[in-house]
Parts: sequence; structure tokens; C-alpha cells
Amino acid sequence: MFDVQCSVFDVPLMKPFKSIKWRLQLWYGLILVVVLAGFGFTAYQLEKGRQMRRVDDALHRRFNALAGALRRPPPRQGQPGWSFDRPQRDEPPPDDRLPGENPRPPREFHLPPADAWMFETNDPAGYYFRIYGPVGNEPERNEIAHFGNWPSRAGVEDRITGGINAPPRIGSPPVPFDIGHFREIWDTLPSGEDIVVGVSILAEQKELDRTALTLTVAGGVILLIGLAGGGWLVGRALRPIGDISATAAKISSGDLSRRISTAETDSELGQLAAILNSTFGRLETAFDQQRRFAADAAHELRTPVSVVLTQTQTALQRERGAAEYRETIEACQRAAQRMRRLTESLLALARLDAGQEPIQRVKFDLSQTVWNCVELLRPLAAERGIRIQCELPPVEAPGDAERLAQVVTNLLANAVQYNKPNGEVRVTTKLQGGLVLLTVSDTGPGIPAEHLPHVFERFYRADPSRSSGQTGLGLAISKAIVEAHGGTIEVSSRPGEGTTFTVVLPANV
Amino acid sequence: MRILIVEDEPDLLRSLAQALREEGYAVDTAKDGEDGWFKAESYDYDAVVLDVMLPGLDGWEILRRLRKVKKTPVLMLTARDQSRDRVKGLDTGADDYVIKPFDLPELFARLRALIRRSADKTTNVIEIGDVAIDVAARIVTRAGKPVELTAREYALLEFLALHRGEVVTRTQLYEHLFDENDSTLSNLLDVHVSNLRKKLGAEFIVTRRGHGYCIE
Repeated sequence: MFDVQCSVFDVPLMKPFKSIKWRLQLWYGLILVVVLAGFGFTAYQLEKGRQMRRVDDALHRRFNALAGALRRPPPRQGQPGWSFDRPQRDEPPPDDRLPGENPRPPREFHLPPADAWMFETNDPAGYYFRIYGPVGNEPERNEIAHFGNWPSRAGVEDRITGGINAPPRIGSPPVPFDIGHFREIWDTLPSGEDIVVGVSILAEQKELDRTALTLTVAGGVILLIGLAGGGWLVGRALRPIGDISATAAKISSGDLSRRISTAETDSELGQLAAILNSTFGRLETAFDQQRRFAADAAHELRTPVSVVLTQTQTALQRERGAAEYRETIEACQRAAQRMRRLTESLLALARLDAGQEPIQRVKFDLSQTVWNCVELLRPLAAERGIRIQCELPPVEAPGDAERLAQVVTNLLANAVQYNKPNGEVRVTTKLQGGLVLLTVSDTGPGIPAEHLPHVFERFYRADPSRSSGQTGLGLAISKAIVEAHGGTIEVSSRPGEGTTFTVVLPANV
Repeated sequence: MRILIVEDEPDLLRSLAQALREEGYAVDTAKDGEDGWFKAESYDYDAVVLDVMLPGLDGWEILRRLRKVKKTPVLMLTARDQSRDRVKGLDTGADDYVIKPFDLPELFARLRALIRRSADKTTNVIEIGDVAIDVAARIVTRAGKPVELTAREYALLEFLALHRGEVVTRTQLYEHLFDENDSTLSNLLDVHVSNLRKKLGAEFIVTRRGHGYCIE
């Protein structure tokens, strides 16, 4: 399952532990192990505590029973229960005793039947006890009674014996401890006797081992399920990244039309994919525009070049008269002029695009600039019988007067060129709410609505022929200049009535 | 051979027309789409050189309309060199496609090939008896010896040779050998035929009285 998912990421070959998927999986696994171990340990400790409390309760009960029996007077003969006098322990004969020793009389000890059931004689793993008399001068403790299998206490006795000399803990219950497979209480009564009660806890220990094993196995299974589920989740969550990188790889290899499929648009990755898609879209548009611009520029250059080629090749085919050569040279000159205009426009656009030659921001009177442009174009307008109406109150604007003059000239030339014979061109400037407005209107045939959104595009012409003699870049250059000034240029047109271009510039820097 | 050139760049149109005329073609010109469509529809040109970007009707539209009524060979002339434009041109029914800027010799060669293909000829040399006409080099030989012909005589011979076995009417000859600018007198045709007979043999061109001329 993991391998299949991993193949999504194989687009560029990836080291397994560098991939997000595997690192997530590793951390997830580690956290899961810690949580499971903590949980298992706690469960084990709880179970152990429960078991030990049960054992300890039983031990305490027996200890108390024994302690109670010690305090009680010896019963009469024949009374039911258990009786102990001298313990059946190998003891040195009395004559071996050191002189001066005063052995205490053996204490009798009787366990009443209400308590005797606690000690089953035939259970080898059952309870056992020993009762020692108070500490005297004798080196050996004087054993009062014992019962059951006394476990081997190698290395333990001393510690316990050492504890006997400690002051008895009055009031607080004695603390049980483990000796191998046994658990014992050893305490000194206020009267000086020591009671040791113990029991085999082999069964409990075995059960605890089983519990530990169960918990480990369960934890392992949960870990595996968790890892599998986690891997599935991580793979699922990261699958869009695989899609994204695969798509991005295709895009980087040149196929700009590719898009990431955004089925899960609500997730973060879906949003990322949507953002990337829109970026790719803009990239593609920009690339397309660039490509079209280059193709258009080449196309525009091709016609004058073919004029020069055809003219010269025709002229050179045979000897010709001076007039014919002159005609050829004139045609070549016209073609060259056209190419010059085109290359100049292309250069201007390229510079504006690159943001080279920053726009100067000097306050100047826009109306004066417009007036100069109008004067320049009057002869051309007069040729076509077109009147230019001006309404030019002085308007101060910050900017590059020379470049804005280029814009005005472009707009005016268009208005004259695309006007009807004996038409009119209206030019106005005004200051309005912190903005400088310049409008140029004509009374020409207007621009059809389907062409309006494109008139500022490079090489866009409503009329696809080249007969106008324009480069098709004038409005694009105007737009670039106006936008470099932080302004806008807009066009509105009514077919049959005319077209109005409006330039809006900020009145303050 | 009569050719129509539709091109809106006046200098290009003028020099193309001149160059083709010097090649011996009769050339009509049109500088916009409407005029081009009118002429292409009105006459049976041997070939049309058609610019794509035209004011009025564009080249595609003229081609589309022309293909509904005529099989005139069309050579598209365009500044667009993207393959989808070429595909569009050829799919719309253009017979060939030349990209600006072009070399005149190449354009001539393509035009010759177009005209030859439309006359179902596969080679550039037409042999009739001991007369061989090399339409590419515009050289005529008789029994291996070159024959000097004027441009008009050659054009007449080539047209008749390309329509070998058919009776070509005088009207057809006028339409294909003279363009709209020629002010020809009808007897000039007889002069050219008579000159050809002198140079290639009296029986080479047969007169079908009341019908026209024929090379058998």
C-alpha cells in the first residue's frame, strides 16, 4: 500500500527519508509507540497494583489475625483451632547454651478457628508465617511458631534482621515487600514479637506476565493498524502534492496548458492547487501574448522585407531605365521607413516594458503640450477637411511632457485618420477631483463593440489590412506611457457616431 | 498564362505584377478583397496569387468562395508562418503556400508547377513531334536546335501546348494571354500564330475555322 502511494512521488527520484510522507510516517510512528508504551505501562502498573493490593490485603488480614492470636491468652486444651508451642526447628540442645543465658519460657500460641481457615496446610504455594519472640540476649531469635514453606532467603535475612532493630512503626501498617516469588510482611509488635507472614505470588506474577504479553501484542497490533491507517491518510492527504508536482513537471517541460485537477477545492492543498492553477493560467497568457507579440512583430517586418526583395530582384533581372530604378529605390525607401517606424515602436515598447528610462515627474502644463500637438497635426487634419476643436484650460500635471505629447499625438493622429471626411476632432483637458482628464473624440465611424476590448493590444487592428500605414503599436505604446505615469486610458465608442479616448492622470505626485 | 495577384501592399503588388509580366504572364491586379473576389470570379485565371491579410474580404474568405465555383489554382501569400495557418490554407483549398518574404525565382517555380499540375502535366518539358517546350526554362527547341520566340509567342505556344488536342478559342486565348491593361487588336493574335508557324512548321498549329486553334 505504501509502495503504491509512494510511486506518486517518484517523479523526481526521492530518497525515502527525505520525503515528507516518510518523515511524517516516522514521526507518527514514534509518537504512536510512545503513547502505546505509556498506555501499556500504565495499564500494567494498574493491574500489578490491583493484584498486589489484593495480596497485601490478604497478608495484612493474616498478620492481624496472628498478632491478635499472640495477644490472646492461651486457650484451654481441646479447643478447635491451631496450636503451636515450641517450633519444630532444629535447635541447639539446651546444654549447648552459654551460661548465664536465661531462656524465656516458650510462648504458647493458638489460632482460633475463625482465623485458622486462612492457612491451608495442604497448599504448597499457600501462606506461611513465622513468629519470633522479643529480642533478647541470645544471638538467635527465639522462634515461637512457624507454618508453611519457608522460602530460601539467601542474602535477604540480614536485611530483614537488620530491620528488626529499627524502632517499631506504631500505627502505620507494615509495608509488604517481595522476596523472589514470595511477598511478605515483617513487623514487630509493640510487645516485642516479630511476625513474618508471606505468600507465594508466583501465580500473580505469571498472570502479570501474561497481562504484559497481552498488552504488548495488543500494542503491536494497534501500532501496525495505526501505521497502516496513518500511511493511508498521509498518502491520501499528500496525493494532491503528487498531482501538483507531476503537473508542474509537465509545465516546466513546456506544456503550459496543463492544469492541476482540483477535485478537493476545500482543502488547503485544493486551495494551493487553485492558486497554482491561476498562476499557471496567467503564465500561459503572458507566454501566449509574448509569443503572439514576437510573431506579430516578425509578421509586420515581413511585408516591407518582401517589398524590398521583390523590388530589387525584379529590377536586377535586366537593364532598366533611370525612371524605373528610381521607382524601385523609392519603393525600397518606403519599405525601409516602415521598418524604421516599426523597430522604433518596438524598442519604445520594450523599454517601457523593462521599466528602463524612468518617467520624469516634473510639473508641466498639459494643456500647453496638447496645444503644441494640435498645431503639429493641423496640416494633416486640414488635408482631410477635419476641424480640431480645443477646450484647453491650463492644467498642471506631474510627468514626462515629451512622452505624454507622444500619447496626445497618437490619439490625435488616430482621431484624424479614422474620422469621416470633413469631420471634427474634440480635445479637452480638465482637472477633476485630484485627477487630470484628457479626452480626444472624433466623429468617425466608431469602433465595433467586439474590437473595443482589444484596441490597446499590440498589433491589434480592427481592420486587418496594412493599408493604413500604421504600425498597430500606437495605442499600445500610449497605454504603456500612461500607465507608467500611474494613470489609465480608456476608450468608448458608438458605431456611426465616433470614438472617445479618455486619459486620466494623477494631478499630484 | 493569365494570373491574378491580390495584394494590399501597393509596392509589393506593383513589383510582383511587373516581374510576372516580364516572365511572360498576363497579370491582373487587385488591391483589396472585394476587387480580388470580383476578378477571380469573373475570369478563368490560370493561377491566383492571393494575400491572406486584405482589407474588405480576407484571403481565406475569397478562397472559400472561389472554391465553391472554380478550380482555379490558388497560391496563398502570407506573412504568417505558423503551421496551423499553413494547414488552414491547404485545408481551405489553397494549392500552394508561400511565406513572405519570398524569393521571386521560387515564387515563379511554384506558379509554374501549379499551372502544370492543373493541366495534368508532370514534367517541365512538353514534346510535340520534334518540338520540345521547356516550360521552366522557357526554351523551345526544334530538332534539338533552339528556336527564338518573343514572350507573346512563347505564351501562346505554351498555352496551346498545355491544352494539346483541345480546340482553344480566340476568346480563351485573349483571356489567358492578355491582361486588363493590354490594348490588343484582334489581328495581333493572328500575327503571333503566323510567326509561330514560320518558326515551328506550317502544320504545327492547326486552325479550326469558326472555332479556334489546336495543336494535335
